[in-house]
Parts: sequence; C-alpha cells; structure tokens
Amino acid sequence: MKKTAKKNSAARPRTRPAGRPVARRAATAGVSRRAAPAPAAVPVRIARVAKGKKPQYFSDPAIDKLLWMTLTLMEELSVTRDRLDAVENLLEGRRVLKVADVDAYRPAGASARRRQAQRAAYVDRMMRAAQAELEELTGRDMPRSEAEVVAAVEA
Amino acid sequence: MEPFKQHDMLPESSHDEQARQDFVMAFRGHLSGALMPGAYRVYQQRVEPAFRAAHGRPPADQEEVRQVMTQDPYYQFWSAMQRRSQEMLWESVIEPTERQLPQLIGKSRKLSKKTLAKGRKGSLRLDPALVVPKYHTAADIHLQPGGYHTDFTADDVAAGVVYDKGINIYMGGALGPENNLTGDTLVAYIREKHPQFEPARILDMGCAIGNCAVPWARAFPDAEMHAIDVGAPVLRYAHARAQALGVPIHFSQQNAESTDFETGSFDVVVSHIMLHETSKSALVRILKECHRLLRPGGLMLHLEIPRGKTVIEKFMHNWESYNNNETFCRYMTNIDLKAEAVKGGFDPAKTRVDEFVPKLDVAQMNYTENFFWKILAAHR
Repeated sequence: MKKTAKKNSAARPRTRPAGRPVARRAATAGVSRRAAPAPAAVPVRIARVAKGKKPQYFSDPAIDKLLWMTLTLMEELSVTRDRLDAVENLLEGRRVLKVADVDAYRPAGASARRRQAQRAAYVDRMMRAAQAELEELTGRDMPRSEAEVVAAVEA
Repeated sequence: MEPFKQHDMLPESSHDEQARQDFVMAFRGHLSGALMPGAYRVYQQRVEPAFRAAHGRPPADQEEVRQVMTQDPYYQFWSAMQRRSQEMLWESVIEPTERQLPQLIGKSRKLSKKTLAKGRKGSLRLDPALVVPKYHTAADIHLQPGGYHTDFTADDVAAGVVYDKGINIYMGGALGPENNLTGDTLVAYIREKHPQFEPARILDMGCAIGNCAVPWARAFPDAEMHAIDVGAPVLRYAHARAQALGVPIHFSQQNAESTDFETGSFDVVVSHIMLHETSKSALVRILKECHRLLRPGGLMLHLEIPRGKTVIEKFMHNWESYNNNETFCRYMTNIDLKAEAVKGGFDPAKTRVDEFVPKLDVAQMNYTENFFWKILAAHR
C-alpha cells in the first residue's frame, strides 16, 4: 500500500490531466507556471548601467574591461568562500562534520590522485591562453597564415 | 558601530546577496583606507616633481593636477577599481530589490495609509507634471542606475530602496543605523549654536529617502516637518519608510528652486549634501527660494562636504565629480557659498560658512583625519 502511494505521488506532476485544478502545494513550490489562472506579471527590470560618460582609465579600453571582470570574479570568489563557510558551520551545527576535520583533511590514495588530476586539468584550462599561442606557432600542420586557410576553402 | 537597521521597507537579502554586499563594503574599505592615501604619496614623490621639472613650477590648480595624475599608473589602477566598486555597490543591492519589488510596493501602499502614534500621519503629494531638472537627467548621480527619479514600474519605490541600502555601503556603515549621520550632524549644529531655537515648521530640501528629515522630526517632535525632492520613486519610498519608522513627515515632489509653499512660512530650511548635486544657476535660485520661504529671524542651514584646500586635495576630493557623476562638485569647489547666499538675498552680516565637527557623539563617523563638515548658515 505504502509503496503504491509513493509511486503515485511521484508520478503526479507528469500524469496530471489537463484542466485539473493545481494543488496548492504545487503552486507555492513554483511549478504551476503553465496552469496559473492569470498570466504572471512581467518581472520589472531595474537598470544596471548608469547614464553618463564612463571615463577610460587605461591606455587600452580592453584593460578597463579585464579589470572589471577580474574584480567581479574577486567578488564572486568571496561570495563562494562565505557560502562554503556557511555550509561547513551548518553541517557542524547538525553534527554532520567538524570544521576542524575539514582543516585537518588530507586526501590520500585515490582521493589524492583524483584531486591532483582535477587540479592539473584546471591549470591546463587556465593556461591555455598562453598555450594556444604557442601551439599556433609549433603545432603540426598549423596554417602559417589566415590567407592559407582562406585559400583552402576557396579552392 | 551600530548595525544597519532592518526596517519594514527594506528587502531581505539572501545569503549570497548579503555576501556580495559585505564584499563590496570590505573592498571599498580597503580601497579608501589602504590604497587611496597612496595616491597622495605618488603625487608628492613622482607626479608633482615631474611636473616641476617640466614646467619650472608646481601645478596651479586641480585641472593641471588632473592632467598628470590620470597618466600615473598607480592612480589609474586605484581610480579604475574605485569606479568599479561603485558600480558593484549598486548591483549588489539592485538584485534583492528587483526580486522583492512587487512586495515592497505593496508594503509601501499599506504603510502610507497607516495612522501613527497620537493620531498623527505623514503625507505624500506627487506632481506628475514636474520637470526633473537637467542636472539629474543628464547623468545618473553617484552612478545609481536611473538616479533618484526613474520609475521602472507603476508606484515604483525601487530607487529609494536601492539608495537606502546603497548609501549605507557607500559610507561603510558610518551613516548610522538609519543613515542618520548627516541629519543628526545638522541637528547637533542647531543645538550647539542656537540652543534656544525651537522651530514649529521645518523644510528639508532634496530629501531623497527622508533619512535626514527623520532625525529632524525626531529632534523636534512638535514641529511640522516637510521634505521635498524631484524624484517620485524616492519620495514614495521616503513616505513609506517614515511611516514604518513611526515618524510623521509631509513629503512633496517639488523642485527646491521654486516651491509652492507660502512666503515666510518656515522657521528652518535645511539641506544635507544636496547643493553639490545641483548646478551653478540652480544654486542661486535655491538660496533665493530659501530666503523667500523663511520667516524673519528664520534659519537656513546647508550641510556640505569640504572639497580640500591644496590642489591635490581638491583633485582627490573631486574624484567623485569626474568618476561618480557628481559633476557639479568640481565647480562648487571654487564657489564662495557665502557670496551666493548674499546673491540670494541674505544679509552678509547674518551669513556664515562654518567648519563643523559636532561636540555631541551624534554618530559613528571617524573624525580623526581632520575631517569637518562645511555648513552654510544664514538668518533671515
């Protein structure tokens, strides 16, 4: 009996017949978009860019944009660290783990190898910015110019 | 420092939204505390000596300092980061505001109907026909997208919500739990300099979210408190916010250059760091209007931020003018406020510009760096 009830409730969202009133719980869970009685109001968008003339700070405007992105990444990393801190503290509060255990954690064996491989792949992805230029120069069968590529497709 | 007060009209921030705001505050604290003083040092050690070597004299004014400082790599880097921090500041508060905007508008409608203690009640009078002056519409002041005046939806309060949370971060929390520092400072001024003065009718010009009008209304609870601004969304918010704080204030959408209040109908007319957000011609018109609105013996008080004495100080203080859309600042630096007040009709013998640091512990501002407020004070 229990088993069947569970199965039914899990399948309900997909098998609900058309026109059937939406369960109140589903509405609050935000899954009722299609069955909502009135069309949802278009969310208001507040402008993100201020009117005015933005100064150029560096000799190349690309540097201005790169700094913009760097600082935004810095912000998001700070947010992520805060969030990790929140997760650790909540888990400790619920006796799932101790924050000190995280500090003391040293991966070994397969865990250490997996982490090492992940780290190397990450470094590789980041450093491809430089690697790509090098491969363009030294890679096998690399075209020597854009004209060579254009000639190949025009032929 | 007393924490920022979460009143009814402020949105909630999710964990990550709060973390973003916390980051911006910490980042800006570092920029102004650790990196900004370095700009003075590079000026003294390499920029000014190079200028002397080339011209046989030091830079004559802030404009000449600007020509050379904006070429200095240290200054460029600090300045670009400072600019980005200001943009990030608004982004960090716009996100939670946008997410909760329909609820906030609903709350403001409800709060505006609320009757406060002793049967008192604030009011809101908007003027859809009011033309928002060009010094607001040409560029968004402080880089707040949409400025004080843009409605993004019907009955919008977003500009006010964003401003309230934003200026708290802007000042690193130093404005106090209700962004009350500047209002409290001017109240402290009147208490110190004119202890007998008990105004019955007070007007706050350029009130924005009413964060300065609230301290005035609290300091003089029997007075009738009026506050005006040109921005509709900040006024809707200001009204709801004052109601939420239980302070009766009468807000109306009016340009301080020309209001519909009766001549001689106020005992005190004040503004708080507002004059530098106007224009050369508006400044005189506003002072003239203050003169008209005050009863004989009434008091005009405008709080302003000093803009430095040496050329490098003037240049650095005017960073906001060139990088933060406070365009009029650079002109105000060289304007004699007393002379302008006299042009507006005030008696030179009854007009003064004071450098003021409150004796009372009015707020949490750190006054150690020779900081003082500039106050234009005049009796009618």
